[in-house]
Amino acid sequence: MKKRVLALMMSLTLAVGLLAGCGSGSDDGTTAAPDTTASAETDGGSEDATEPAAEGEFKGTIKLGGLAPMTGTYAEYGKGFEIAFNKAIEEINAAGGANGYKLEIEIVDTQGDTVTSSTLCTDFAEDEEVMAILGDFTSGACKADAEIVDRYGVTLLSPTASADDYASMSPYCFGIMGRQDVEAPFLAKYILGKYLPEEMGVDVQKVGVIRVDSDWGLSCYNNFMKQAENEAYEVVVETYATGEKDFSTLITKMQSEDPDVLVVMDQGDAVFQIFNQADAVGWEIPHVALGPGTSEQVAAQLTDNNNLIVTSPFFFDPSDPDLAAWAEWFEGEAGFAPTIHPACAYDCVYLIAEAIEAIGDGEVTRDAIRDALAELPAYEGLSGTIEFTEDGDIRRNYMICGVKDGQWTVLEGFEYGAEGV
Amino acid sequence: MGYILNQLLNGICQGSIYALMAIGYSVIVGVVGMVTFAYGEVMMIGAFSAYYIFIYVGNNLPLAILAAFAGSFIIGIVIYKLCYERFFTAPRHISLLCTIGISMLLKNLAQIVFGPETKPVLNVVSNTTFKLNIFGAVLNIRLLQIVIIVLVIILAVALTLFFNKTKYGVMLRAVSQNKDASYLMGINVKRTALLGNCIGCGFGGIAGILLGIYYFSVSATMGSAYSMKAFAASVLGGLVDIRFSALGGLCIGIIENLGIVVTAATFRDIFAFAFLILVLIFRPQGFVSKKGARV
Amino acid sequence: MQKIKEFYNKFKVIILLVLFVIMAVIPFLGIKTLYIRYLCNIMMYATLAGSLNAINGYSGQMCLGQAGFFAIGAYTGAALSKNFGISFWPLLLVGGLLAMLIGFLVSLPTLRLSGIYLSITTLGASEIIRIIAQTWTPVTGGTMGIKQIPYPEFFGLDMFRPQYYYYIFLFLLVLFLFVTNRVLKSRVGRAWMSIREDQIAAKSLGVETSFYKCTNFMYGAFWAGVIGVAYAPFVNFIDSTQFTTDVGFNILAMVVLGGQGTLVGPILGAAVVTILTESLRFLESWRYVIYALLLIAMMWGRPQGLVGASKSMLAGGKIKMKEDKAKVKAEGGSAK
Repeated sequence: MKKRVLALMMSLTLAVGLLAGCGSGSDDGTTAAPDTTASAETDGGSEDATEPAAEGEFKGTIKLGGLAPMTGTYAEYGKGFEIAFNKAIEEINAAGGANGYKLEIEIVDTQGDTVTSSTLCTDFAEDEEVMAILGDFTSGACKADAEIVDRYGVTLLSPTASADDYASMSPYCFGIMGRQDVEAPFLAKYILGKYLPEEMGVDVQKVGVIRVDSDWGLSCYNNFMKQAENEAYEVVVETYATGEKDFSTLITKMQSEDPDVLVVMDQGDAVFQIFNQADAVGWEIPHVALGPGTSEQVAAQLTDNNNLIVTSPFFFDPSDPDLAAWAEWFEGEAGFAPTIHPACAYDCVYLIAEAIEAIGDGEVTRDAIRDALAELPAYEGLSGTIEFTEDGDIRRNYMICGVKDGQWTVLEGFEYGAEGV
Repeated sequence: MGYILNQLLNGICQGSIYALMAIGYSVIVGVVGMVTFAYGEVMMIGAFSAYYIFIYVGNNLPLAILAAFAGSFIIGIVIYKLCYERFFTAPRHISLLCTIGISMLLKNLAQIVFGPETKPVLNVVSNTTFKLNIFGAVLNIRLLQIVIIVLVIILAVALTLFFNKTKYGVMLRAVSQNKDASYLMGINVKRTALLGNCIGCGFGGIAGILLGIYYFSVSATMGSAYSMKAFAASVLGGLVDIRFSALGGLCIGIIENLGIVVTAATFRDIFAFAFLILVLIFRPQGFVSKKGARV
Repeated sequence: MQKIKEFYNKFKVIILLVLFVIMAVIPFLGIKTLYIRYLCNIMMYATLAGSLNAINGYSGQMCLGQAGFFAIGAYTGAALSKNFGISFWPLLLVGGLLAMLIGFLVSLPTLRLSGIYLSITTLGASEIIRIIAQTWTPVTGGTMGIKQIPYPEFFGLDMFRPQYYYYIFLFLLVLFLFVTNRVLKSRVGRAWMSIREDQIAAKSLGVETSFYKCTNFMYGAFWAGVIGVAYAPFVNFIDSTQFTTDVGFNILAMVVLGGQGTLVGPILGAAVVTILTESLRFLESWRYVIYALLLIAMMWGRPQGLVGASKSMLAGGKIKMKEDKAKVKAEGGSAK
């Protein structure tokens, strides 16, 4: 009996202690961040404050929330988010902050999982000090978070969500990846319809599509099909669930249909796994992927490192010194070369900073940031020009990139698809 | 026709890896007498042990398999000490929960130590394909598939011989049949159970690296999907019988692949479990014809 | 300890009432919304763990598939409220009954099985339910899941804030405890416990074990379904990954940690597990490593759970007849 009481007491003290530890942790956060909305009285000498300012000269602190899949299938991209977010924040603060405000970001790991993402998004939304939320990576997670940010009235700016029905879900939702209803038709029209026949002599009649069964994958596929119908392709499609490892059955199935080109729609590891397993059965067919961008991870893991073509809105051009320097810095930090995804994450922070600048002397509130962001004029970011549509997402131009000897190269530049879809 | 044969071959190849997993699982359950949910993570550890051999030594398959066996064997000792040794007389759910804890521990520790990203395992076996003509139907056999199937057969035969021909094998069988009687016969039950657990884990580790080679990648989270498959295959075989467990694994592999042929890959796991439940409804003891082996 | 028990028995009604009032006023105390949501989680898991405990703890059947019943409730509630605009409150019952029906189907093959075979069948059933949810796209949204599930309304009040939702979970938890307490003290509950302690003896004494095992499964499944219906709008988005076997194991961990076969155990277990996993968040990727270590340590230190009775079969030791008789006498006395 005594033992039982003892155990109970111990577990209770443990629980209480943990709660207390948790409570004091968040208290620290509160004291470190002064009242962000009371800004009017310090406006007097703020002209000087925009000069590079030392610690303590800021008007106040603005806290942002960051959602990133730092573990799980999309860990590579999540890590990129983290590095890019922190880099941008550091730069902005070193340059005197956003309109004199110091920026702060708390990045949490959503594990590439939609539910974790929505739970953590709710945490941020309920924390009154968080003025805007950056993230998440997948379209599915962003769409699940859309309702939450709409309810709580806080901006959700996703670097990478590209489903064409995401940004329209709420006025508080923004995305800068570019809409899938541009990229997927571009792939159908220019890679399948123009590049493959003209440059590689592959006359595309029948297309084999293997896609991940997710919000993003469905959006890709539907938009792809719109164009494919125009081009009168015959399309055979197979789907698989996220996390699938064994594609041998799908490949044998696809092979028996004998398509002219194999298109994989996935953002994660499945891209190279599918192509490698296709190579393994000795199936020689042009490989096209929608989703991974110019991911180093994908290029490094292909068994046949000369056979992959992707669409990309962006490429780290070695001849552009700024881009090259950024890419080099990023590779030093992360251990792998950047894709468009961290570049977009980097731009997101700057966009928020721009929005805060645009608010000017007004009170920085969640709604003010949203309104300023929606009204923002075209912004020249690292990943290209960003100008929000009515819905809150952007349209990008695409080029065609390919893997040559394990390295990404631009096959055709932006002018290739200039006439649009 | 050739198409169906090719799909059947895919199923057999995957099924033989499942069979190896199931064999290891059955050895654990048979000898220790308790189920484990940490088996997937044991396989992952095996796969990573071999992966580091590929990285630091080169594409040496026999050495890699040895490393996979050794790595999982050592993890097997840890699992035995933490989950089983203390709880032989306790109710089953306690050791069960401990293995769930170990599974969580290993999975998350591996993500920290090995990194969360998928690691490539390329070109271990060359991508050679043989074309076989069977009554006009063309069957594409990959060298890799032959290697895997042959390896699984060799390992299964070796284990059977070990159980039937060596002193340790006899001890293991005795413990699996009746612990109390074995104890009275002078067998060190705890040490024998430890050995059985470790051998089972070692087989799991080999299955892990075979999966890695077959799918060209290993990752810290690879285990969870297969833990359930091994469990299901082993239950099909009556949980403690090596040969029937292997048959169970083979069946699940083939049914899964043929199921996908008729439907879609998203349905994969439904076939394995539906088949399992159907078998359990009609034959609760699995494929095994005679009862008597203790679970 | 004895004194505490006596004190509790004497002022049982007052203590419970005070406790209830404290729980009822918590949302008014100005606690951070975040912590209110943790409390919601704790109460939800407490009910869910309680429903599993009704199976594992009282009839001694080792069910591992509670996540499946939970999923049925969640999907029923979400799909019906989203597609047909059916109000939340009747759905609680509909979801519960549907889960109960599935519980009945699952229990049929398990009647012939025992031990580990029963466990694997329930586990397999739970996986099949999850995979159906993952593949039956027109109804369950497939891998996309169901998004923007309507929040419950209470006389025109939109209950999306955790402060309001708190009362739904509190209501369900109290209702569950009250009903389960009554059931356990009835003939049915005693039959369940007789099966747990010794099935053959129970059968020989005229307990229809098959019937009672079946009702036991259905009872546990019903409550898992009810709490599933309540869960779906709370998270606003459901997909099949929320109902994996890992979730089932997590519920099991709560039951075992708290103490199987007690009403308070699962509540305590749910609280400890939720508080642990939430408060260890600062450890980032080390969080689950530490949690797993604590879990194993608890199993080593206290295998019967925090409040588990050390004399029961479940705690490991054999029942000592003498003590047990005394206990039964004492319990019978107090019940009368």
